[in-house]
Amino acid sequence: MLNELFTQKLSSADGKEKLAEYGGSYIRDRLREVSFVRKIIPPEQVTRADCQRSVNHDTLVKIVDVEPKSRAMAMSFRGQPTARFIRGPRAEIAFFTISSEMFQKTEQELLAYEMPITKIIEENSVKDIQEIEDREFIIHVEAAIQALQKEANGGIATALNWSQLTGAGVVEFSALKGELARSAGADDATVRPLQRPDVVNLFKSLDGKRLRCERLLFTEVDWDDILQWTVEDFGDRIQSETTVDGYKYNTLLGRPYVRTIKTDILRPGNVYAFTKPEFFGKFFVLNNTKFYIDKIANTITFQSWEDIGMSIINVAACKKLELYSGDANPTTDANALLTNFVPSDEDQLGAVNNRVDQGLKFPQISQF
Amino acid sequence: MSTVTQFNFEPLSDIMVTQRRDFALADKDLCDPQNAVALVDGEYTVINDSYKLVRATNIAAVGNAATQHSYPLFAERGRTDIRAMADKKMPIIFMGDFEADTRIFNAAVVVGSGAAITFAGQPLKVATITIGSRNYSGLVGHGGAADASPIVGRVTRLPAVNGGKLRYVKASHI
Repeated sequence: MLNELFTQKLSSADGKEKLAEYGGSYIRDRLREVSFVRKIIPPEQVTRADCQRSVNHDTLVKIVDVEPKSRAMAMSFRGQPTARFIRGPRAEIAFFTISSEMFQKTEQELLAYEMPITKIIEENSVKDIQEIEDREFIIHVEAAIQALQKEANGGIATALNWSQLTGAGVVEFSALKGELARSAGADDATVRPLQRPDVVNLFKSLDGKRLRCERLLFTEVDWDDILQWTVEDFGDRIQSETTVDGYKYNTLLGRPYVRTIKTDILRPGNVYAFTKPEFFGKFFVLNNTKFYIDKIANTITFQSWEDIGMSIINVAACKKLELYSGDANPTTDANALLTNFVPSDEDQLGAVNNRVDQGLKFPQISQF
Repeated sequence: MSTVTQFNFEPLSDIMVTQRRDFALADKDLCDPQNAVALVDGEYTVINDSYKLVRATNIAAVGNAATQHSYPLFAERGRTDIRAMADKKMPIIFMGDFEADTRIFNAAVVVGSGAAITFAGQPLKVATITIGSRNYSGLVGHGGAADASPIVGRVTRLPAVNGGKLRYVKASHI
């Protein structure tokens, strides 16, 4: 019914507007979730006037100033301070587009659906777009972490795994292994449960650099291990509460956290810590999500997209905890396990859970 | 000899009828404008077995000819929208017919069984060419029936009467 209305509306003079109606029931394939990057770096709306054009091509960047250096000094009554010719670094943040697929269907075939398929796709597209935001963010964060890991290891990309930790050694500057991964006895992709000292060590990796951890990012899978913490970790009262209601506080050991179900983007075993956004990076929205729909003859086409820019400007403001003992450094990939630890390819995201197309539903009834 | 500038590939036909698709670069460094062998607009590319974009020819040596169907790059060197993306995707004209002006060609060179570019209507193929001080995957003259290389277009206007740019058409029937 809604699909019929949809096609009628598109045929009317003012019909290329969004349809607000919603109805029908259908089986959902998977949970969808809004962006987690937006909870770590809240997006700021910018306009063309805030941006710089390029003289080399038709693209836009926004230039962001970075705090200049300064210091004070103790001195005698007769001395004078050292001078500093002031210079503040600047960073360019470039914009790009994230788009849904271009969906197409004939109006006749649309009538074969009882669920509001166009409406569902439209709404899911927003979350699909935000999934890609998250994927871009995690890849940029990982690049920042590996850059400082390399610097801390004398400019040499060095594997971070159990073998290296117990052998030749590796500096854990931006990435560190969890307590159980350190004693794994082998380099593997098994994700060990998150321990309370792991979280504290992650805090210390930021807190010890004159920054402060203000946000943790977990997968739901790693979060579940917190529910296994014992009375020695939680104390009597919290343990009782957690057993009945789960852990229901907005902070863990005093720090806010974000949980995500997107385990194909943030892979289980990776826990990130971030500072406040003003010490970390920027997320700009040049154009909020736009929705385009058109009908040519009997074919309906629709698409949505947004234009954003995001950048990790202070690469020291993010740290990573690895709960597995294998190497997740993309340059070394010493254990050939990298695909377990990095985000899936874009076209692999959101793999289908149901097997209805393959005839897997029970009881297996089909009319003929 | 052509000259490479900021803009080297300009469509002259309606691009709405083409399918412009982004593919991730197999070598992400090729979108860095400081890279000595950075990709430039109008260079030809192919999609490798990993569904990623690579140059149509090995530019280590002049005269390497493309052996499979290739696609023109539709993005200028160093575009920031490309560099902002984690996967460094670059757009190519993937499907559809078009006419364009390009600076990424060498009219004089003869590659394999090819021929110098001398007349309108002449078929074109892709090979490694030198323009200035570096090599590109660009257009050269196709030799006709004796030439086994894929034809990617036909000359519509010779550089001598087109401000030094080669005008060509890629159409499904050629």
